[in-house]
Amino acid sequence: MDFLEVSYEEEGTRLTLYGDWRLLQLEELNSYLGSRELLDVLTRIRGSVILDGSKLESLDTAGALFLLDTLEQQVDSDEIKSESFNTSHASIIKLVSERKPAREIKRYKSENIIAHVGRETLALWRNIVSSISFLGRFVYDLLPLVIKPFEIRWRELFVQLELACVKSLPVIALVNFLIGTVVAYIFADQVRRYGANIFIVDGVAVAMSRELAPLIVAIVMAGRSGSSFTAQIGSMKINEEIDAIQVLGLSVMNILVIPRVIALAIALPLLGILATGIGIGGGMIVAQVELGITPTTFLERMHDNVAFRHFWIGLIKAPVFAIFIALIGCRMGLAVENNTRSVGLNTTSTVVQSIVVVILVDALFAVIFMKLGL
Amino acid sequence: MNREGELALSVEGVVTRFGDKIVHNGVSFKTYRREVTALIGSSGSGKSVLLREIIGLLRPSEGRISVMGVDVWQASDEELAALRGRFGVLFQEGALFSNLTVGENVAVPLEEKTELSPELVERLVDLRLSLSGLSPEERHKMPSELSGGMKKRAALARALSLEPELLFLDEPTSGLDPITARRFDELIQTLSHGLGIGVLLTTHDLDTISSIVDRLIVLDKGKVLAYGTVAEVKQFQHPWVQEYFSSRGG
Repeated sequence: MDFLEVSYEEEGTRLTLYGDWRLLQLEELNSYLGSRELLDVLTRIRGSVILDGSKLESLDTAGALFLLDTLEQQVDSDEIKSESFNTSHASIIKLVSERKPAREIKRYKSENIIAHVGRETLALWRNIVSSISFLGRFVYDLLPLVIKPFEIRWRELFVQLELACVKSLPVIALVNFLIGTVVAYIFADQVRRYGANIFIVDGVAVAMSRELAPLIVAIVMAGRSGSSFTAQIGSMKINEEIDAIQVLGLSVMNILVIPRVIALAIALPLLGILATGIGIGGGMIVAQVELGITPTTFLERMHDNVAFRHFWIGLIKAPVFAIFIALIGCRMGLAVENNTRSVGLNTTSTVVQSIVVVILVDALFAVIFMKLGL
Repeated sequence: MNREGELALSVEGVVTRFGDKIVHNGVSFKTYRREVTALIGSSGSGKSVLLREIIGLLRPSEGRISVMGVDVWQASDEELAALRGRFGVLFQEGALFSNLTVGENVAVPLEEKTELSPELVERLVDLRLSLSGLSPEERHKMPSELSGGMKKRAALARALSLEPELLFLDEPTSGLDPITARRFDELIQTLSHGLGIGVLLTTHDLDTISSIVDRLIVLDKGKVLAYGTVAEVKQFQHPWVQEYFSSRGG
């Protein structure tokens, strides 16, 4: 289909437009305007040009833009006259020619690798510095509350405690029960080879109470509470609620951060105790099924042979994990920028940072307890 | 005068209830292409709700809404999708996709609804941005880096993306400084008259009303209180209307 007809007259070259010059036909139009034969004709035009719109059916800004682009690039003429366009087509052409964007497309240069590494390093450094200063601020604001505990926001604390503790019971119980059984299966297979069936008790009890229960609880809570802290506080930041808190002369730390940190530091040991119990319970079932060790024997063996310190060690680690998770969650929430995308990014970052930090701290504890001979 | 061919939108007997609360109690009006129509009314009179019903986001309890001859709430999903390609919407806060740059935002409708090559899309995006009064440098910015006025311009560019025949603007000038707001008004008028687009906007801005609006619809207590040209509505003897037009300070 032809969109354009070229005819030669006394006054100059007449370009008659046909059909629909619209967005829907744009691909067709573009290949037509870019065709060899048409370009040959157009580039040879000299002198004045008459643009005839009498046969034009419809036109929109996209069509007008490509018409003007083609004329500008291909037709070497000092005088282009428009003729018999209807008013709406004429006004579209007028508007588009006034606002026509420059042709050259500026591309963003890709950043060179050294600059990129530098930028990322600086960002990492700033992140570390701001983490430390946040920690400092937290401790600074927490200290007065130790002397004046009635100034703690107890209401908020208990709301958070309910969210973190009560509401996460089912998932914590399920996950740890499964972990307990899985660990027991692995031990069962090993101890059977040595005919040392009863050692499954020591294995499961120590692994669950000392390592697995606190770690699993911390990881689940990093995903559950840490991320929700960031999302909540981040949304408040976007909604200018954080600014409102500050303007009212209140402390963001006292209202938002400290109750969350304390709530999580209480919740995690409690959940850890539950998790240990349920995990060992899972192991107990597997011991019965796989090795024929009755629960009574299992519990007796545990009572006589598994030192209580393993349980304490697990319990000591939990609040430390909790404090890190809560602080990271709150800090990333407060670091949200004024756009919704930032909430998502920071929430992801919270979960990643929390899990990494929890495992790092756990490794650190392992070394310390080893040196202490515990 | 027969203007059926120019009819952009007709709303007939729309009733909206949220539980016991009646927001609209039989709202009817028509708007035409090449005209800027403004929907005014006190806060909470259901302007934005009506707009959401017209663009097919919220089902009215009763009544008929037809946009360019298509009944919005009887149309099949395909018909509605095709219809939505023919009108553009500017949401109050712009509603730019925050994970995309301004240019990518404007390109979204073109990439999703047309088969155009990337070069053509890019060229069209530049035109849309420049029609909305944004410079080419803005296209690589993220929405969060833009001021309120810029956001609205970018959102308008996206609304213009598919060559709409009709534009819906929810409070286009709210939150803009007077100078920016007047420029935005001019822009809307240029687009409406220059491109022959019908515009329906909700507003509280008296300057918008007196400068670019051709026709006014006043919503009050769930009904259309007054309908007509700005001059006609100004003459309308009703306490709310009179107070509204005399409310400008100074």
